[in-house]
Amino acid sequence: MLELRDVSLDFRSSKGSFDHGVHHVLDQVSFKLYENETLGIIGRNGVGKTTMLRIMAGILAPTHGEVITRPGASASLLTLGLGHRLDLNGRDNAVLSAMLQGASKAEAMGYLEDIKAFSELGDSFEEPVKTYSAGMKSRLGFTTALLTHVDILLVDEILSVGDAEFRKKAEEAMKQRISGKQTVVFVSHSDTQVKDLCDRVLWIDQGRICAQGDPDETIARYRASMKK
Amino acid sequence: MTLRHYFSLLDVQARMLLKADSSRFRLGFLWWFLEPLLWVSVFFLVFNLILDSGKKSGDFILFLACGKFAFLWFSKTVSQASGSIVASQGLVGKVNMPKSLWPMSVMHESLYRQSTVYLLLILILLLFGVTPMLAWLWMIPVVAVMYLMIIACGLIGACLVCISRDFQKVIPLAMTFLLFTSGIFWDVRELADQEKAQLILITNPLAFMIDAHRQVLMHGQAPDMVHLMLIALAAAAFTALTVSYMQKNSQYLALKVLT
Repeated sequence: MLELRDVSLDFRSSKGSFDHGVHHVLDQVSFKLYENETLGIIGRNGVGKTTMLRIMAGILAPTHGEVITRPGASASLLTLGLGHRLDLNGRDNAVLSAMLQGASKAEAMGYLEDIKAFSELGDSFEEPVKTYSAGMKSRLGFTTALLTHVDILLVDEILSVGDAEFRKKAEEAMKQRISGKQTVVFVSHSDTQVKDLCDRVLWIDQGRICAQGDPDETIARYRASMKK
Repeated sequence: MTLRHYFSLLDVQARMLLKADSSRFRLGFLWWFLEPLLWVSVFFLVFNLILDSGKKSGDFILFLACGKFAFLWFSKTVSQASGSIVASQGLVGKVNMPKSLWPMSVMHESLYRQSTVYLLLILILLLFGVTPMLAWLWMIPVVAVMYLMIIACGLIGACLVCISRDFQKVIPLAMTFLLFTSGIFWDVRELADQEKAQLILITNPLAFMIDAHRQVLMHGQAPDMVHLMLIALAAAAFTALTVSYMQKNSQYLALKVLT
């Protein structure tokens, strides 16, 4: 479905830091993503997970190496809060988010009542987003993110939102999406979620793949390395 | 993404920007009128009351208004559009959108806002006793070319700011330079050296456009259509080049914005 071959990404940072001012975010990463599988990506913060997702989504291009996608396959990055405009209300933000994720205006308007119901925002849906709590913003973001219909779903740590009840609902919804005919790449810090949902797991550290394969094994190796 | 979806998204974003803009301030959309009016009052105060430049006050206010309203549209929109991609850092890193979407939304929104400002200008002209004339229809091509010019400059500015943030300092300086050199509070046509005047009109398209505003609205004269068309063509060419650059280097621009 998608393959990364020797992909590296560098960018210029301030002089004197990293490797003479060049930050090697990803270093010769190679792996394949197969159709209908759910691939987990684990690793500490700042190792290049989001960058890898962005490369897969086509938002960034690698400095070296190539990204080979199956022709016609669409990818979409699912993160929270797709650029909420604080002065607008939840309703307007939902329309904007849906359209930014590929829905037409008519489709976006059609989804509105479902979004309002699922996010449990009630009357706040009509209030400016600047009055929302962080939890409310995440709920809005997550609900609109659920709407994307793409071939490859790239999920960046979005299942850690809301209170326990909403999180259960969110996980169920996500499980339904993932278990269907859907290729998913799933970044998470939660071992249980990863073991539950993923077929294969990739462990990344310092921009390189340290291990890949069976979820239980890979997670165990990752956790072991953290203890050192 | 399809062209249709792009334009639909552009329109929705522009309308949302309008809505957000008017809900942010207490006086809301009134600022669209208040700001141009305040500028003209200040000019009148300085040039007529304090400096007593001896011009017929009514004419001079109209002269200032035509120039200033057009210049404000250009300078504010190009400045905002230039910073728009960098300002939307969050979204740039999350969705794979054509980078031109952000500056275009800003510029499209400005068109909606500016249409009310032009109505205000007409109102001021009527209040000062200028009879509406058929020649005012020449404003249609003038405004269209003005918009094209703004699009070209806004898109180029947006790319430049993405590549180097330093341009965010350069652009306001450039606008101040244009404020003084585009014949907003002095009349190009009254320069002693008419050769100099022609040079200014040729090298500074903004000066030409502002002069065109006055020619049409105050004197009922058609603007120099050949010159107008040349500006339109140049603006269209720059726009096409910049859009093509933004398409080919979409990911490079994203990297520059995010790092």
